[in-house]
Amino acid sequence: MPAGKTKASSPSRVKALVLTGYGLNCDRETAYAFELAGAEAHRIHINQLLMGEKIGQLARLEDYQILAFIGGFSWGDDHGAGVILATKLLYNIGEQILGFIEAGNLVVGICNGFQALVNLGLLPGLDGDYRSRRVALIGNDCGSFRDQWVNLKVEEDSVCVFTRGLKNLELPIRHGEGKFYAEKPVIGRLLEENQVVLRYAGSEGNPAGGSFPDNPNGSLEDIAGICDPTGRVFGLMPHPEAYNHWTNHPNWTRFKENYRRRGEPYPQEGYGIQIFRNAVDYFK
Amino acid sequence: MVARLEITLKPDLFDAEGEAIRRKARDYFNIQLDEVRTIHVLTIDAQLSQEQLESARRQIFTNPVSQISSFKPLATPFDWAIWVGFRPGVRDNPGSTAVEAMEDLFKIHFQPGESVYTSRLYLLRSERLGKSKRGYRAVEGIAKQLLANDLIQQWRVYSGDEWNPEEGIGIIVPKVRLAHQPLVETLSISSDAELERLSLERNLALHPRDIPVIRSYFLQPEVRDGRSKFGLSDPTDVELEYISQARSDHCNHNTFQGKFYYHDLSTGEQKVVDNLFKTCIEAPTLRLQKEKDWVISVLWDNAGVARFDQDTYYVITGETHNSPSNMEAYGGALTGIVGVYRDPMGTGKGSRLIAGTYGYCVGYRDYRGPLKPHLHPRRLLDGVIEGVRDGGNKSGIPTPYGQVFFDHGYMGKCLVFVTAIGLMPATISGAPSEKKTTTAGDLIIMCGGRIGKDGIHGVTASSEIYSEHTPAGHVQIGDPYTQKKMHDFLLEARDEGLIAFITDNGGGGLSSSIGESSRFSGGAFVELDEVPLKYEGLDAWEIWVSESQERMTVAVKPQQLSRFMQLSHKHEVESTVIGHYTDSGKLHITSQGKTCAYVDLALLESGFPQWEFEAEWVAPEHRGLREPVLGPPDNQRRILLTMLSRANICSKEWIVRLYDHEVQGTSVIKHLVGVERDVPNDGVVLRPRLDSLRGLAIAQALNPTYSRIDAYHMVGCTIDETVRRLLAVGGSFQHLAGVDNFCWPNIQYHPESNPDGKLKAAQLVRANWALKDYCFGFGIPLLSGKDSMYVDGNLEGEFGERHKVSGLETLQFAGTSVIEDVQRCVTMDAKMAGDLIYIVGLTRNELAGSEYYDLFDYTGLNVPRVRLKEVIPLYQALEEAIRAELVASAHGIYRGGLGVHLALVAVAGELGLDVELAQVPSEEVERDDLLLYSESAGRFIVTVAPEHKTDFEELFKDLACDCVGRVTAKQKLTVQGLGGKVIFRVGLQQLKSAWKKPFGNL
Repeated sequence: MPAGKTKASSPSRVKALVLTGYGLNCDRETAYAFELAGAEAHRIHINQLLMGEKIGQLARLEDYQILAFIGGFSWGDDHGAGVILATKLLYNIGEQILGFIEAGNLVVGICNGFQALVNLGLLPGLDGDYRSRRVALIGNDCGSFRDQWVNLKVEEDSVCVFTRGLKNLELPIRHGEGKFYAEKPVIGRLLEENQVVLRYAGSEGNPAGGSFPDNPNGSLEDIAGICDPTGRVFGLMPHPEAYNHWTNHPNWTRFKENYRRRGEPYPQEGYGIQIFRNAVDYFK
Repeated sequence: MVARLEITLKPDLFDAEGEAIRRKARDYFNIQLDEVRTIHVLTIDAQLSQEQLESARRQIFTNPVSQISSFKPLATPFDWAIWVGFRPGVRDNPGSTAVEAMEDLFKIHFQPGESVYTSRLYLLRSERLGKSKRGYRAVEGIAKQLLANDLIQQWRVYSGDEWNPEEGIGIIVPKVRLAHQPLVETLSISSDAELERLSLERNLALHPRDIPVIRSYFLQPEVRDGRSKFGLSDPTDVELEYISQARSDHCNHNTFQGKFYYHDLSTGEQKVVDNLFKTCIEAPTLRLQKEKDWVISVLWDNAGVARFDQDTYYVITGETHNSPSNMEAYGGALTGIVGVYRDPMGTGKGSRLIAGTYGYCVGYRDYRGPLKPHLHPRRLLDGVIEGVRDGGNKSGIPTPYGQVFFDHGYMGKCLVFVTAIGLMPATISGAPSEKKTTTAGDLIIMCGGRIGKDGIHGVTASSEIYSEHTPAGHVQIGDPYTQKKMHDFLLEARDEGLIAFITDNGGGGLSSSIGESSRFSGGAFVELDEVPLKYEGLDAWEIWVSESQERMTVAVKPQQLSRFMQLSHKHEVESTVIGHYTDSGKLHITSQGKTCAYVDLALLESGFPQWEFEAEWVAPEHRGLREPVLGPPDNQRRILLTMLSRANICSKEWIVRLYDHEVQGTSVIKHLVGVERDVPNDGVVLRPRLDSLRGLAIAQALNPTYSRIDAYHMVGCTIDETVRRLLAVGGSFQHLAGVDNFCWPNIQYHPESNPDGKLKAAQLVRANWALKDYCFGFGIPLLSGKDSMYVDGNLEGEFGERHKVSGLETLQFAGTSVIEDVQRCVTMDAKMAGDLIYIVGLTRNELAGSEYYDLFDYTGLNVPRVRLKEVIPLYQALEEAIRAELVASAHGIYRGGLGVHLALVAVAGELGLDVELAQVPSEEVERDDLLLYSESAGRFIVTVAPEHKTDFEELFKDLACDCVGRVTAKQKLTVQGLGGKVIFRVGLQQLKSAWKKPFGNL
């Protein structure tokens, strides 16, 4: 589907808005992941929300149930990843986004999107404050961008609606600024109030305890993803949309030999789609 | 008013950027620093109020959780500090986004001349360094050799004692000020000698043989008549620049289109080879295009086009960016990859980028000899790697594959290969996507970045003397952010059917993009006054040939202009109408309202003389090459571990991890595979359409050391290796496409400065013969290709003397194949204990140019050669075996030979291998070491589940393929020699640590 075209929408399908433009780049695969999960996904340029009438392509937040902030390099990651994107949205449609959340909808931020959510103050949203920056994603301890698949432990007590039913997950990370940082009391509250959703883990599935490369960026408490107190706003550094097919996994040819020799069928879908399906199913 | 904003991490936070510098200072220069902290500096040169500045500081530039900031100096006590900022006119990407963010926040527009400049201040603490002269020199070394590159950056060193905490670094504004009144000059053509003098003086690089042709054109009475109507007489600088660009080797491939007088001194045979491009590249490709319906568009556009599936095409091309990277590694490589991405964007009506790959050839990273290249290979390689990292990652295009090769010859000039692949629908608004044309009346639109002095006359202009405000003209810094916005915009415009023609502005700038696109309509009218500039003071010719990056030239119908501009606005991309296409037969350019160029487009086809080269081939045995007298080693185990630690064999995982290789969600076979995902696979596979199981396999190879013997076999082996890499992942023999990329030292003979030029010319001829023979033989159409000559450098030695250092004759060959169902792909790692190990293909005594001989500083004579009749049946059998899912793993045997590649198969699978060398199919190889390290082409290591033994062997009946052992659960590689005794048994951990040792800490 070409960018910005809205196809005839069926009223029954959950609609997801995938925000694009200004150097964001995971729009196609994120939209595809939502479609696989049963949603109707539209790739919408930021300026369609900001000046849609002027460019003949108006998009309205209230037509959607899910808002996705995707991965990429908005504004080249200059001046802090996600910072300029957050500023632009805050001063143009900040109130609308708050209204969207208050209305009971879902927001997910992946990688650059997570960085934007924390800079917007939509995460962690402690005490219902969706305007203050309380946590940050800063430069990786390893000093550079890194692409690597990680093991993730899903916190079962987390209130997050996107990870319901999940225990462990493998996903790729691809970032230079993913170290989760906040002051101790903030981290303490996030843990206590079950807002920590994903933690980097070792191959056994237990938190990595800060050890590289299981924890690839030096995140405090191995935190890879958090949600707001309602569980409806979720941010994570790993990329679930990049595990959309079983052949995305770095070891799938090894798994395949096992399936074949045991005479079992191949799984087809990638495990990352579960996160999108949970979001879509939330509205059922 | 100018304000300086400083931003830094909170003091208790770990500074990863500073730590990386501390580590490099230790590793590179053995300088012990205790701590490095970084301060980011924004120098804001604009009319903003105090409130606005304060608001920008808080809202945009400071993260309250992790950072502090101030308009006053933030430096905490230090021993030394280094400030590094750009020179005037150098592309400052974060500076531009800072402007964009403030314009958006305050709803204002920065006025011409207003700007934001970014720079960094590094605070160094070191007990050991001291405050003496020696300390200063060490810090200066860090500034010069680690942090700043003189070409694009300026730096200052401060000692802690002299620091004024109130003033800090002061206010430094690297603004371009050109006190120059733009003008158009007329150049005298009174004689050939006069024009040649002017060409030298103005750096026009006109070929002496072209000069009479140019003069005779401008002296024709009818030409002079036509020109006089527009106030022109002798040629203007704009016109001569246009001709110079169009006739340059870069645009016109004069070397490949040249005439070679080939003389084989060994046989006495003499031949005239007229046009290597036509005979060795174009002819085979055109013939193969007729045989293969999947070849859609080749040999004319910015990139080649082939069918991916019924309604999708893929687009591929390759490029090098050697000279710029050699001078400014980061900027050169960044510009290289971002630049090559514009080729698929400008192919047909435009394609969407889906992958990029890299190839780096550099001097040894640990070089400690006396030669002084502009950048030490270690710094050069780091810079190149980071340039491609930022260029690829920030473009949102996966960089799934690449290779690095070290050789002393690349100290003279490094090679940076970049390959770009795009995808486009077969039809756009019902018309074929690969076709495009310009028509009289179409508007000429320039999209993307603005024009400055960037890249004018390439690096030849580097002799300019710098002042504080002269732009560092010739070095470009790519801007992937601006280009990504343009990419998204142009695809949307394409899908709405708004693009009649599109091409990129790369080498030669507007001169080449408009020059070439106007040949379709038959003319163009361009108003240079309309072209948006970065700063005032550019001459007309500079605007015309500037290579400022991130620009495309697009032809749009007038009635579609408003929609085109609306979409441009949506994506915040600058697009400007700068003229229109005509059918006048003329290129007509105006500046300041007056005509500054008026030439016939046909001039370029009017009989410019061919370049000519003398090529003398001396067979290797007559050049004194022979097999070394080398006895077998006693310690086979140590040899293997030593081989695994060699620079050209060992793990380079650190590079792969820096590149986003899975953005777009299409990754199927990654470059790093195996249990621990750390061993490079033969090739990679993407699933570029997420809704399909079809895959695109990508691989590439280079084998320059074989050129020491014969570039013919260098090319044969390189193509063969690419083919095997594609087949090993599951590629199809029916769909093999290639991109050739030649990098050659100077082939023009000169008795003093290039005494072996004739041999290098003969090597080029032979290389092209091999290209033709093997592309025909394997059935590989060349979808695209590129040549880059002059891979030479003159390096200063220990005593101030100069040494000419030439790169090896190098071909990088990139290949693609289409795979019907990606679920049938295989990887190279051993999968299961109990599986059978097969060696496919014959091993011969072919070690010349091998890694094994190189270990002992030998070259040898028996270079590996590819025997098409022998290998093709093997490849077809292997393809069939993989398609029938009989193969658990497949891996080609490449540089380093059987020994090295058995080790990698075992290490990747974390499974032992028991191998009997006596079972390895071979011809006249009677020694274990030669069998283990011969680099014969055409071979694979394949593992097969026991239940598929019969079916697998049936496919290879009567072919060179034998079972040589078994995969085991023991964590050991065990090899039984030809004499029947175990010659080594090595633990996998030991193999792996030897293989990871050289670069494991990077």
